[in-house]
Amino acid sequence: MPVFRKPESIINTAGYCGGCGHGVIQRLIAESIEELGLQDHVIGCVDIACSFWSQDALNFEFIAGPHGRCAAVATGIKKVRPDATVYVHAGDGCSYVIGLSETIYAAIRDVPITMVVVNNGIFGMTGGQLNLATTLIGDKTLSSKAGRDPKTMGHPVDMLKTIANCDVAFAARGALYDVKHIDETKRYIKKGFQNQVENRGFSIIEVLSPCPTNWKLSPVDAMAKIKNETEKVFPVGVYVDRGGKD
Amino acid sequence: MAKAKANTDLCKGCRLCVANCPRKAITALETVNKKGYEIIEVNEELCIGCGICYKVCPDYVFTVE
Ligand SMILES: Cc1ncc(C[n+]2csc(CCOP(=O)(O)OP(=O)(O)O)c2C)c(N)n1
Ligand code: SF4
Ligand code: SF4
Ligand code: SF4
Repeated sequence: MPVFRKPESIINTAGYCGGCGHGVIQRLIAESIEELGLQDHVIGCVDIACSFWSQDALNFEFIAGPHGRCAAVATGIKKVRPDATVYVHAGDGCSYVIGLSETIYAAIRDVPITMVVVNNGIFGMTGGQLNLATTLIGDKTLSSKAGRDPKTMGHPVDMLKTIANCDVAFAARGALYDVKHIDETKRYIKKGFQNQVENRGFSIIEVLSPCPTNWKLSPVDAMAKIKNETEKVFPVGVYVDRGGKD
Repeated sequence: MAKAKANTDLCKGCRLCVANCPRKAITALETVNKKGYEIIEVNEELCIGCGICYKVCPDYVFTVE
């Protein structure tokens, strides 16, 4: 029988709300790093948003740059510390809205880092505003109180398809709504770190993750929403896997 | 057989483990921990040590060994 015990790199609790996906994602990152034996030289890059809490929880070095600039900050870290394992743990507001340019340019430069994007369809930390890239049509948010109307607020965009236009090493989307998908997400994240060990280029893993607090749903209902609604708009799976090419 | 053990001091009352346990071995309680969250209880008789609770819990409450 396998033993399940939290990774040693998790040394503290984090301030996430109950049922938040950030905590599961943080575990998948820590497990992947430990299974690859990288834990002694890791520099994480978190955002001034909910992923900021991860600095408390994990026994790695961290830098939190200005909100939205994680991909640029991580690019800089990797340039000056090429031997370090450098990763981003940031939200979809950071990565696809205010910091879209930084994310795309990290992809264009094909920087050999591992970027984990938490797609919770909303600006979590600031109280639940609409995310132009990821909020679903009809979803009520603090800044779309009658629901997202495409006539005035446009449509959500699959940013992994945009990123797939760049020549990156790996792009994949996972989800957290059941164990099968959590395990699949873990494989994608571990692959993203393995690519970095082999210096293969930019790896991005987006994760469909709940924000029960701002969705105003119970954690169990929030997972059901991802399965029944979010995944229909943002399909899970591998978008790019360049394989052996350097 | 391996069994799930819960450190309920860490629990945040989300009930994801209750919904996902295939053996219905986890019960939601009204008892609160020091942080004020309603905790859970594992029935070791029913537990098969599958590790699903470990994987779904966002707050690392479970060890299965
Ligand atoms: C330059 C700047 N603009 C705006 C903010 C306010 N702000 C903080 S977090 C955030 C959005 C967070 O959403 P997301 O990146 O999706 O992360 P989440 O909190 O949902 O994990 C915003 C707009 C800020 N801190 N700095
Ligand atoms: S606000 Fe949302 S994303 Fe942030 S910790 Fe709470 S549930 Fe998680
Ligand atoms: S290990 Fe499996 S059977 Fe045991 S409590 Fe956890 S989910 Fe239920
Ligand atoms: S999944 Fe974890 S935090 Fe949520 S109720 Fe169960 S033990 Fe508590």
